Amino acid sequence: MRKSIIVLITVAALALPVVDATAATLTTTSKKIVVSKRFTGSVASVDRWGSLRVTIVVRKTTTITGTKKKVTRKITAVSVPVYPNHTDRSIYINQTALPILKAETLRAQSANINMVSGATDSSDAFAQSLQSAILKAKRS
Amino acid sequence: MTVTIQELPGTRRVEHVMGLPIVVDVRDDDEAGPALDRLFDWLRWVDATFSTFKENSEISRINRGELRRDDAHLDVRRVLDRCDQLRDETRGYFDMRAPDGSIDPAGLVKGWAIDRTAAILDDAGLRNYAVSGGGDMRVLGRPVPELTWRVGIQHPLDRQQVAAVVEATDLAIATSGAYARGDHVWNPHSGLPPSGVLSVTIVGPELGTADAYATAAFAMGPERGPQWTARLAGYEAMTILADETVFKTGGFPDE
Repeated sequence: MRKSIIVLITVAALALPVVDATAATLTTTSKKIVVSKRFTGSVASVDRWGSLRVTIVVRKTTTITGTKKKVTRKITAVSVPVYPNHTDRSIYINQTALPILKAETLRAQSANINMVSGATDSSDAFAQSLQSAILKAKRS
Repeated sequence: MTVTIQELPGTRRVEHVMGLPIVVDVRDDDEAGPALDRLFDWLRWVDATFSTFKENSEISRINRGELRRDDAHLDVRRVLDRCDQLRDETRGYFDMRAPDGSIDPAGLVKGWAIDRTAAILDDAGLRNYAVSGGGDMRVLGRPVPELTWRVGIQHPLDRQQVAAVVEATDLAIATSGAYARGDHVWNPHSGLPPSGVLSVTIVGPELGTADAYATAAFAMGPERGPQWTARLAGYEAMTILADETVFKTGGFPDE
């Protein structure tokens, strides 16, 4: 048996611009429409520690070339406006876990990790709220 | 910084059932809506039937003596029988019986239920998906054609890190630990929470079994637990001890 701890994730700083501007550009051959919208996830409960909610900003780019239409969406910001905050444990989560959770979420999106296996905690509530925000964005 | 999630293939849905967010992430392009409806309807039935928090569940009725085990729903009998088998397989460390004689099969139900949701997705012809409930999951196929599913095993001491990454195309992955919800696993022989083990991850074909094995190995403690997992047929394990020693079984599929 090996004796090792493998450390794979480093914390990424989250300095994310919030993009609210709507821009449209026109050329003779193709038309590009860029729209940024904010999507708020459902409030997810964190066991007995309270609730949290995730908000994402999604930039939707629609490129129309002739009769072809291509739509891409990018998350340009993630924030957590509602934090669990009514017990000592919640304060611990706020100070340590949530900034880290953001980094994990973004990393997972970069296709390095699809899922995380671990004991049940606020990460699930975070994922749940984020997921509902993404689902809203995909339907827009 | 911009992170792209653009146009993931497939369908995703998250619902809160059995006290847990259940995440279903289907990557096939096929229409998955009706299968997902059936899947979540079925999970709600499982919750109504098995939860000890629901007064009218079959388990609550069995515990009050209003329903004989032999008269329970076929799925209830199957789950309770499997719990009995698992108690034997784990030398009594996985035990649905509380000291007062009541039963709570919740330690098997979640994983078993997710195994059955995988069967629902299979029957719908879906071949690339992940179903996760509270950090335990089944994955099948590929998230995108050129990649395999990659599952990070959370580091129990340092939550911004993962302790391993498992790559799989058909696997159940369960992690049991004391770090998230306090000591929710205890040694049924001593009645005390185990010390010295931070988490146990078990991977294999069935999530119900993997989850029960993880619970048992965690309860066994730092001496017996890793040794016991090394002898499991068809299942591999990674145990993280309090001194940060990691024991992995030989075939543990991390990179």
